[in-house]
Amino acid sequence: MTAADILALTAEALRLHRLRTILTLVATSVGVIAVLLLTSLGQGARDYVVREFTGMGANIVVIVPGKIETQGGVPPMGGGTRDLTIADAEAIERQCPSVLRAAPVAIGSAVTEYGGRSRTVPVLGTTPAFYTIRNLAISTGRFLPSGDPRRGEAVVVIGRTVQRELFRGDNPLGKAVRVGERRFRVIGVLAPKGSSLAMNMDDVVIIPAASALNLFNQTSLFRILAQARSEVEIEKAERQILDLLADRHDDEDITTVTQGAVLTTFRSILNTLTMSLAGIAAVSLAVAGIGIMNVMLVSVSERTSEVGLLKALGARRRQILAVFLIEALLLAVTGALLGVGIGVAAIYAAAAAFPNFPMRPDAVWIGVVLAMALVAGSIFGLLPARRAASVAAADALRGRIG
Amino acid sequence: MRDVSREFRVGDATVRALDHVTLVIERGDFVALMGPSGSGKSTLLNVIGLLDSPTGGTYELDGEEVARLDDNRLADIRQQKIGFIFQSFHLVPRMTAARNVELPMIFAGVPPKQRRERVRESLGSVGLLHRATHRPDQLSGGERQRVAIARAMVMQPGILLADEPTGNLDSVSGREIVNLLLAMNAKGLTVVLVTHDPGIASSARRVIRMRDGRLFADGGPETAGAGPETAASPGGGSTAAPHAERDGPP
Repeated sequence: MTAADILALTAEALRLHRLRTILTLVATSVGVIAVLLLTSLGQGARDYVVREFTGMGANIVVIVPGKIETQGGVPPMGGGTRDLTIADAEAIERQCPSVLRAAPVAIGSAVTEYGGRSRTVPVLGTTPAFYTIRNLAISTGRFLPSGDPRRGEAVVVIGRTVQRELFRGDNPLGKAVRVGERRFRVIGVLAPKGSSLAMNMDDVVIIPAASALNLFNQTSLFRILAQARSEVEIEKAERQILDLLADRHDDEDITTVTQGAVLTTFRSILNTLTMSLAGIAAVSLAVAGIGIMNVMLVSVSERTSEVGLLKALGARRRQILAVFLIEALLLAVTGALLGVGIGVAAIYAAAAAFPNFPMRPDAVWIGVVLAMALVAGSIFGLLPARRAASVAAADALRGRIG
Repeated sequence: MRDVSREFRVGDATVRALDHVTLVIERGDFVALMGPSGSGKSTLLNVIGLLDSPTGGTYELDGEEVARLDDNRLADIRQQKIGFIFQSFHLVPRMTAARNVELPMIFAGVPPKQRRERVRESLGSVGLLHRATHRPDQLSGGERQRVAIARAMVMQPGILLADEPTGNLDSVSGREIVNLLLAMNAKGLTVVLVTHDPGIASSARRVIRMRDGRLFADGGPETAGAGPETAASPGGGSTAAPHAERDGPP
């Protein structure tokens, strides 16, 4: 019996049992599609969060005023917290060797007005360093000018949404807008970036740090963003910043938060999420497998009489099993490939429909799913044939099992 | 083929489809197995054809003890020495007549070129060459059974086993089938057929009647229609068996 013979017999069998063939293909491909969609959803979610974090900028140490105590005890007497100042940010950038740059951030909310239209938006006060640290981009004009950060110039960079809402079609460059009670000249428009960490960088206006402190009548910065020279230097930078500010403030009255710590937590949560989605996917594959098994078992009696006939014609057990195994594998592979095709297409379609959510088919999962389909297909396809082949040929001919 | 001698005993604790049957069938014989439903005649045929293995006793085919052979060897013997035809034909519906006839040769590993040749010969010998490309559902019952015979004979076995080959046919086609079997028998083929039809049994050289798993009568064709048990009636029970070849219970 040659391979061509087996294939011919298999093709004939599949053509004869058309309904069973179709049902098996559907069951297999639905299972495969489910696995691919669910796993890529899970990975999409993880990638999304990771991207949000890295979108915040790389190797960042956030300095927050006030000591966040994780131990109990009596609060320090008479200490009080010193303000976090623009001078602190400058000192960090200059004196901490592991820090590449530092940006002071003041924040408030103000009504922004132009040409009779107004919009209440978050106002960020900072320096040009912020632009680099947060990976911002400018669509027209330029970002805040460098220069003495303590000199509060009356210039503003606006987000894409602000531009659209206040200026409609007009060119905003050089125009004066009112932010709170003061007038600022628009020098640039941010390129669209979308939300990152609950801060929508499209719906924001950015002014020099000193101007913001003035505008909101604040003495302390909201925080300082410091960027370490490299990932390995983050911890060193953190230490240097803590030491420097303890020195400047005569007390350790600030708290530092590194991106890495947060990211690690999130990654582990998201890995759990991916794993549970994979679990759900495995269940759906199992359900698909049971579907295949049902279809196969329903056909046991007709298969059995087929096996009986082949036996009567002098076919060896192994030849019979070969025919059935090839048939099952052919079904499983076709079903799985069909599923992969549809699944991948669906993932790309979803990715196109929701560009913010990074879904993509994963080669590893495609491999896993193909392997599982092969295993399930051969087990469930071979089972009835094995059972039929082990029955005495005379009983098998009559379609009796056991 | 040398003289075929067979002897087997089947003892089953629960249902004794065959109850210590001793039987010798000569090469070239034409044997009809008759008996009411459940008398064990089909089981006997299946055991003869190695489709069923006896639970006890010995069975020699061509001088070879076959009752305890492994699966593969049995498959080979079936392939080389035995042809089957069935009441319901058991043709594969998706395949053409030619393809059905080719089937045993596929498993026997006959090269494709030879196969085509032998399919033509075999179909020709049953007079169905012109129907070679038809599928079973395009053939009449008689034609289907002739295709089945062509398939059974394509490996040129010495024995043809037929389980009620005319049971699903009208009397004319049935007669044709029997004549075909007789013609093949005349060329030396050993034929064993199970039948309910006394008319067909009367064509046989030897008629064996069974009841309750035992041989009940064994004789020439003249016994086919005679005797207290006709094929259609259930086993009478109390009637004594005249000159039956039988063993007593152990």
